[in-house]
Amino acid sequence: MTAFQSRGWLLSGVLILLSAFFPLADAAAPGFAPQAVLYAAALVFLLVGGRRRPGGASFAAALVLLVASAAALTAIVHRPDVAGGASWGFWLKAVGLWLASWMAVDGIADGEKAGASRWHDLAPAVLFGATLLALWEWIVAGFGIQPINLLAPSAIGAAVGYYAQTLVQDFVWTFLREVLLGWLVGSGAGFAVALVADRIPFLRRGLLPLGNIVSALPIVGIAPVMIWWFSYEWPSKTAVVIAMTFFPMLVNTVAGLAATGSLERDLMRSYGATYWPTLVRLRLPAAMPFIFNGLKINSTLAMIGAIVAEYFDGPTMGMGFRINTRAALSDSGIVWAEIAVAMVAGSLFYGIIALVERAVTFWHPSYRRA
Amino acid sequence: MKKALLAGVAFAIGLGLVAAHAADKVTIQLKWVADGQFAGYYVAKDKGFYKDAGLDVTVAPGGPDIAPEQVIANGRADVIVDWMPAALAAREKGVPLVNIAQPFKRSGLELTCRNESGIKSPADFKGKTLGVWFYGNEYPFLAWMAKLGLKTDGSPDGIKVIKQGFNVDPLLQKQADCISTMTYNEYWQVIEAGVKPEDLTVFNYTDQGVATLEDGLYVLEGKLKDPKFVETMAKFVKASMKGWDYTRAHPDEAVKIVLDNDASGAQTEQHQIHMVADVNKLTEGSDGTLDTAAADNTVKTLLSSGGDSPVITKPPVGAWTSAVTDAAKKL
Repeated sequence: MTAFQSRGWLLSGVLILLSAFFPLADAAAPGFAPQAVLYAAALVFLLVGGRRRPGGASFAAALVLLVASAAALTAIVHRPDVAGGASWGFWLKAVGLWLASWMAVDGIADGEKAGASRWHDLAPAVLFGATLLALWEWIVAGFGIQPINLLAPSAIGAAVGYYAQTLVQDFVWTFLREVLLGWLVGSGAGFAVALVADRIPFLRRGLLPLGNIVSALPIVGIAPVMIWWFSYEWPSKTAVVIAMTFFPMLVNTVAGLAATGSLERDLMRSYGATYWPTLVRLRLPAAMPFIFNGLKINSTLAMIGAIVAEYFDGPTMGMGFRINTRAALSDSGIVWAEIAVAMVAGSLFYGIIALVERAVTFWHPSYRRA
Repeated sequence: MKKALLAGVAFAIGLGLVAAHAADKVTIQLKWVADGQFAGYYVAKDKGFYKDAGLDVTVAPGGPDIAPEQVIANGRADVIVDWMPAALAAREKGVPLVNIAQPFKRSGLELTCRNESGIKSPADFKGKTLGVWFYGNEYPFLAWMAKLGLKTDGSPDGIKVIKQGFNVDPLLQKQADCISTMTYNEYWQVIEAGVKPEDLTVFNYTDQGVATLEDGLYVLEGKLKDPKFVETMAKFVKASMKGWDYTRAHPDEAVKIVLDNDASGAQTEQHQIHMVADVNKLTEGSDGTLDTAAADNTVKTLLSSGGDSPVITKPPVGAWTSAVTDAAKKL
């Protein structure tokens, strides 16, 4: 426990206690029940602040109280007399809890440094994410921000549930046909052309500068062109994804194939290995970090490309179509729900590729555990 | 010297205060880019009708990435031009828009088909590909198809819908058998692209009984509680309608004014001549008063459009008022 942390815990306790002397909202009716949790929290933060060891029982108690207080504050901010008109009494509590959460993350991260379990790896990220969501919820509800400007996380969650069927349909349409197929074909073609370019220096010198130009092409420019070429159906959207993912893969693979040192290549030559064995046994494995780099870049590019491509003329289905058309109707619920699905899908897609990469390039220095 | 300067500054500030007091500031957010669809507002501004009414009006053009509902919700406009389906949708989603006047009496929305597609009447739609605008414009279409008993989900006994952008490419490239057009805009784009009028069959939404009200004036409900705001809006509506009357009487001059106000320089004179002429047909006979029967019909059309995410789920309450137009008549 650092001096910084102990002061932080103390301050958060003071803030929450202090908030008792200010009204919750301009028109707040007296309601003590959820507030009691907050003052109990303040007492704990004040009394034991500075004496907690991460992993110890009192630290765990503080964490439990922190979560309970956040839930209590969320209940308070949704009370009709507080929502939209929250005042000093509320915001002092919010700042106090945010500070306590910061100190908790800081404390757990200290424990991590000291060499700890998997729980310590995950907990700071989870706690930090939860804090952001809670602050978001409090600010939206507390200030009464209009749904057209920003939706609270709870409302987005409700929208995901309400529109589940549409979301699944759109996801299947956009992700399987446009993102996944486009990513596979685009990356595959980039990889294949890189192998050819590697054999023919003329192509390598000619194609790579061109790659830079094409990777700078704006999607909004190529999307209409693809529609002219491939009709209004989904293939024109897939084509946009292919065009976007081709060159990052090409450039990365070419760079990867050039990554082996002359020592290793000389060794292969001394074994009498010809082009193909050298490629398969030495150069492709060495290129894997580059190839996976390309695949990871392309996973996010493919999501962006497919969604933006659907903004243009085409079928009446898909995540981009829904975001585009429903945003115009101020239908913020489904728009945020689609964004949430896209975010989760994009992160999972990226994460899965990163996991495969870890398995394939286990030999790479960055994965060697001390 | 210093005193004289101070006096001068004070005088200038005083003048500014008087001027600011003399003219009420009004910002109107248009639904689309500066073109003949909004000729009346530009004419009222350029001919000084707003100034005569004691108003200092800013006409803000829109575009594909500007949602008037959002602009007014954030307080960057006092009044917006909007279509009733979008306004009612926004109202249900928490932006309390109220129709205060309806300069456009008739709908300009139509479905334009190539004759070679074999479509002579709505009975021939089955199995065809139709281009539809979304962003709220799909609801009259969906209501029409529901009325015809045609499915729009891509099943074989229905029709195929494609989302059409704000151009007429799908028809020109023969990717769609019919596309959405406005009498005053896209229809002329098709003609200007070289398609002959006799090669086209046009279905007007009004004739099909599924028209919804377009281009009304909407404000936020809360502001109507202020009598001063109602008075300002009454002056604004009256001057705007004078602008529309003038546009009908002097279409050539109106075209010139529209082109002067098109900062993007994207509009062509020929297209604006067509546009102003056809928009004039839609505003004819309107003094700004909303025909509540037409508004009720709009609501009925929207409620019958079905689909999994209907634009409105229940009839709106208080979505239009005659307070402003009543006051305008007394001016």
